[in-house]
Amino acid sequence: MTRLSGGVIDRSRTLSFTFDGQAYQGHPGDTLASALLANGVRLMGRSFKYHRPRGVLSAGSEEPNALVELRTGARREPNTRATVVELFDGLEAKSQNRWPSLSFDALAVNDLFAPFFAAGFYYKTFMWPKAFWEKVYEPAIRRAAGLGSLSMLPDPDAYDKGFLHCDLLVIGGGAAGLSAALTAARSGARVILADEDFRLGGRLLAESGPFTDQSVDAWIAGLEAEFASLPNLRVMRRTTVWGAYDHGIFAALERVADHLSTPGEGVRQTLWRITAKRAVLAAGATERHIPFANNDRPGIMLSGALRAYANRWAVRPAERVAIFTNNDDGHRTALDLRAKGVEVAAVVDSRAEAKVLGDYPLLAGALVTGSRGRLGLKAIRVAQHGRDQWIPCGALGVSGGWNPNVHLASHHRGRPVWDEAQQTFLPGEEGPPGLIPAGAAVGEGSTHAALMSGARAAVKALDALGIKASPPNLPEAEDRPLGLKPLWHVPGKARAWVDFQNDVTVKDIALAHQENMRPVEHLKRWTTLGMATDQGKTANVTALAVMAELTGKTIPETGTTIFRPPYTPVSLSALGGGNTGTHFRPRRLTPTHVWAEGRGAVFVEVGQWMRAQYFPRPGEKTWRETVDREVLATRAGVGICDVTTLGKIDVQGKDAGAFLNRIYCNAMASLKVGMVRYGLMLREDGQAWDDGTCARLAEDQYVVTTTTAQAGPIYRHMEFCRQGLWPELDVQLISTTDAWAQLSVAGPQARVLLERIVDGFDLSNAAFPFMACGELTIAGGLRARLFRISFSGELAYEIAVPARYGAALMGRLVSLGADLGATPYGTEALGVLRIEKGHAAGNELNGQTTAQMLGMGRMVSVKKDSIGAVQSRREGMAADSRRLVGLVPVAATDPVVAGSHLFTEGAVHNTGTDQGWITSACYSPHVGSAIGLGFLTEGEARQGEVVIAANPLEGQAIRLRVVSPHFVDPEGGRLRV
Amino acid sequence: MLIPHPLLGPRDAGEFTYLGDARLLERPDGLGPDAPAAFHDYVYLRDNIAGVQRELWFHEQGDRSWLVVTRDTLTHEILKAELARDVVLARKEAGK
Amino acid sequence: MSDLKPMTALGGADPVRLTLGALTLTENAELALASLALRRDTIVGSGRPIPLGLTLPDPGGWVGLEGVAAFWTGPGQWMIEAEEAAGGDFAALVKTAAPDCSVTEQTDAWVAFEITSSQGEGPLVGLLEKLANLDAALFRPGHATRTAIEHMSCYIIRRAEDRLAILGMRTLANSLWHTLTQAASRLQLAA
Repeated sequence: MTRLSGGVIDRSRTLSFTFDGQAYQGHPGDTLASALLANGVRLMGRSFKYHRPRGVLSAGSEEPNALVELRTGARREPNTRATVVELFDGLEAKSQNRWPSLSFDALAVNDLFAPFFAAGFYYKTFMWPKAFWEKVYEPAIRRAAGLGSLSMLPDPDAYDKGFLHCDLLVIGGGAAGLSAALTAARSGARVILADEDFRLGGRLLAESGPFTDQSVDAWIAGLEAEFASLPNLRVMRRTTVWGAYDHGIFAALERVADHLSTPGEGVRQTLWRITAKRAVLAAGATERHIPFANNDRPGIMLSGALRAYANRWAVRPAERVAIFTNNDDGHRTALDLRAKGVEVAAVVDSRAEAKVLGDYPLLAGALVTGSRGRLGLKAIRVAQHGRDQWIPCGALGVSGGWNPNVHLASHHRGRPVWDEAQQTFLPGEEGPPGLIPAGAAVGEGSTHAALMSGARAAVKALDALGIKASPPNLPEAEDRPLGLKPLWHVPGKARAWVDFQNDVTVKDIALAHQENMRPVEHLKRWTTLGMATDQGKTANVTALAVMAELTGKTIPETGTTIFRPPYTPVSLSALGGGNTGTHFRPRRLTPTHVWAEGRGAVFVEVGQWMRAQYFPRPGEKTWRETVDREVLATRAGVGICDVTTLGKIDVQGKDAGAFLNRIYCNAMASLKVGMVRYGLMLREDGQAWDDGTCARLAEDQYVVTTTTAQAGPIYRHMEFCRQGLWPELDVQLISTTDAWAQLSVAGPQARVLLERIVDGFDLSNAAFPFMACGELTIAGGLRARLFRISFSGELAYEIAVPARYGAALMGRLVSLGADLGATPYGTEALGVLRIEKGHAAGNELNGQTTAQMLGMGRMVSVKKDSIGAVQSRREGMAADSRRLVGLVPVAATDPVVAGSHLFTEGAVHNTGTDQGWITSACYSPHVGSAIGLGFLTEGEARQGEVVIAANPLEGQAIRLRVVSPHFVDPEGGRLRV
Repeated sequence: MLIPHPLLGPRDAGEFTYLGDARLLERPDGLGPDAPAAFHDYVYLRDNIAGVQRELWFHEQGDRSWLVVTRDTLTHEILKAELARDVVLARKEAGK
Repeated sequence: MSDLKPMTALGGADPVRLTLGALTLTENAELALASLALRRDTIVGSGRPIPLGLTLPDPGGWVGLEGVAAFWTGPGQWMIEAEEAAGGDFAALVKTAAPDCSVTEQTDAWVAFEITSSQGEGPLVGLLEKLANLDAALFRPGHATRTAIEHMSCYIIRRAEDRLAILGMRTLANSLWHTLTQAASRLQLAA
């Protein structure tokens, strides 16, 4: 099919593309839709529910019909609107929701059963039998309905995100947006102009001669040159501002490389978070159609779209074209098409008083009441003065007026307001603060009004920021009124579509009315109106008007329709922020990570951390074998483990001791310099929160350790106490977790090993007893800190050096201790060692337990005030008799399963008879069987008793004997040698 | 949202951690005669107003200041932001 | 001197340096850091210390002298920097210079990446826009702030027109390096 003259396409270059395997050609500047229309392709898709043949309705992002699958393989992207796909050479597109082909679709049979699929049919039809829903109905419905399909392959492209800040964000690059951006940029303000199109101009590009004193091309070319010279203006083409958030924050998607066949080394899309002091919403307006019988045939489109295809893309929509309108804008389309040499069969105008404005047949006071043409429009039926006639035509442009694009103005629940004069919703006053709508978005839709409105909005916005701006000289432009007389649908018995994408007809709305689903929110859910990917941009207001007519109320009484983000669909890849796989989230590596990798360690994720879980040796067949060896080697000789992940907080100041007295439930002010004390922190509600050690390095300096998981929350809490509860105290805090590599050296040979590396420091039990700490140098002058503390129950130390030396120290200790059996161990062995010793960890400090339950009730000092102390003494908490106990299986080969609940032998198993639960369990090479820790009612008094560990998930009930939680050295003698 | 940090100017709310009702700053004396009742109220009876509320925000990804932010929870309008330290010191000073 | 061999935050024996178009990213392994916090007496009283000749900057600020620098980290708290001093006991030096303050060793708490541009500030602004939610164009030389980059807590310092430093938690060095180099390479800048 031949092109018309003119248009903003580059005819010097030809682009080849395919649609459903058929090869076609277009030009740079084309969209997929314009190129298909230029090639005479009207049929582009099938509808959602009835599989009706559909063509393009619009020329923009509101498109409900022409959805295609773009590209192939891993880059296949379903539900892409052909109207906004910028044509590139080699583009491959496929129609969707049809089988076996677009022109013959087997499921078009749905259309014959349409009465069965009326509004609410899901709710009414698939109710029984209930079990059928998941297995039969839903899969069948999902296959039959729905849109395109995913490639099911990982997205190969890179996505990015970024942050921009400006004084003024101008949303939309049409007449109003350009005028606003120009006004603001010349004032020196920092301006961002974002437009979803690939070419600036908006609706100006779709009109013939909207300016009376100059050409649009020349004006835009002049602007582009000036914009490029202004460093304070950033023009973002192919960028959709899709959400308005609090305090001037906007979300925008820039399609960096969607117009290329592949992004190459660059990113495909960038998600921008724009913080703007003020914004101008110049998003334009969306034309509304007028439902009539069978108004969904390919070839029937919005009048303004028909005009856009002819003017911007030089597309001849058909040999003979007709217009159906209720306002003068429809006549403009007829005039433009006539001027381009297209035959206009008739302008059907519902207004009896309509006047002909040019050389075309006008049928005033007439309605389009039907159409013919299975796969494309062939003729329309027109009723005038009580008589019907069929008018042959290949395209029909429908104009029912324009709906301002109020979407972003309603993202803060700013309710649009009905304007009776314009018969449309305008942005209300309660939209996002600082967002000023302008141009067609606020009903200032003539070119002249839009230009003026944009400039005014910019001046007003900048004035509020104290920036002086004045409107520039703007082109002289047309300023014609629409002269609209409302016509919301053409009455009739046959189906007339309101929402094309979700197949909602006037009849469905009538049914919703009949079934009392009248409030707009019910209407929407009952009929699925406005729920598809287009979010009802061309449907919602019309549906509201139809419902108003049925209820006999006004449109504003019936309701309003507001919108949520996103304005147009945003891919999850873009929202995901661009990182996948290993770098999906940050990973913290311990100072010995590289060393452990070299030793073949197996790693485990612990929050953000990667920790060595165990260090397998050649010949070891299971992880248990490795862990048993690491545990036994530590208890027999010496084991070394990286414990850097524990939180470390440096606490300084004259009042550091007094402060820590209030943070810990036990006393810390009395701790002597050079000593360490175990500390327990409670939450203010009295529950146990976190434990660790507190070392006093100087009169005014402590180092507090926290568990790995609570390092962040405890630091935050301590800052809260310091700043918000006791700011009069002299205390300073800073985290030093990453600064020091800290290694645990545990086992009867620990001292012997450390003596080989310290620079003459006296490690004897007398000089450096259990719970001592000190600063020293090692390995010929390296600064280090040493703490004699034990998590394993063995003679043990923790040694800290600047993090960069952690790996070297680990390697040195292992090699120096070869004759002592020095063995690196991971988190598994660490866990076994502490369970054998009966030390509480995260499993026991799970937020449901108390100091008393942990056997530390007496630690909660009554002589001082500390966080949680008062609440820990509450009656209910004090009365809780559950205590930490050890558990071993009566039959040595039985397992102990953490999470099992404990019951008295012979009791029924229910919550009423529940006696506690197992918190931690492992295989203990020291005991020679599985062991566990748990909380048991009256636990202290029940040693020796046999209880039942019920694990109903696996149908287990195992007999366990209650023992001391200290499986190793209950007297603690080994710690103190 | 943007939090108007009293020292650093507007900062994105994403940098902050939220804690709720600023009455948490008014911790009772744990050794006082009415401590059990006072602590019950302090821990459990917190306001969650649909309207203007003083609430605690921690500038976790920033300068580690605890702020008292006066915010309308219906509109998210922020009326004031102060350093918690200043608020508490002023209250303690006034109470002397 | 100890014969234990240090390892850089990125896990190598030597610092990493990478040029991506106009931007060069260098791991600054020899930067010494110590935090300095005023004691309550000093806050209430008057007269901030001037450690190593550094006039401690106001909130959001950074000041640099020959080889040493300071930036504000929180109310009454600063980080003191010294070039080529990571091997020594820098905290002890700062404590001597400011005996009435709380001083904490921070050298190995952070990894420092220095980023220089061969084409003025443009590439640095472009990079910052992709990394952090701060107003990149207003983040002029002499500014320093803490914020999040890909959920990682970082200090960003604008040392000069053509130079930025980004300090991240040392244990996150690899993730941060990935983020920085990926962002820099995606800018597709000419050299």
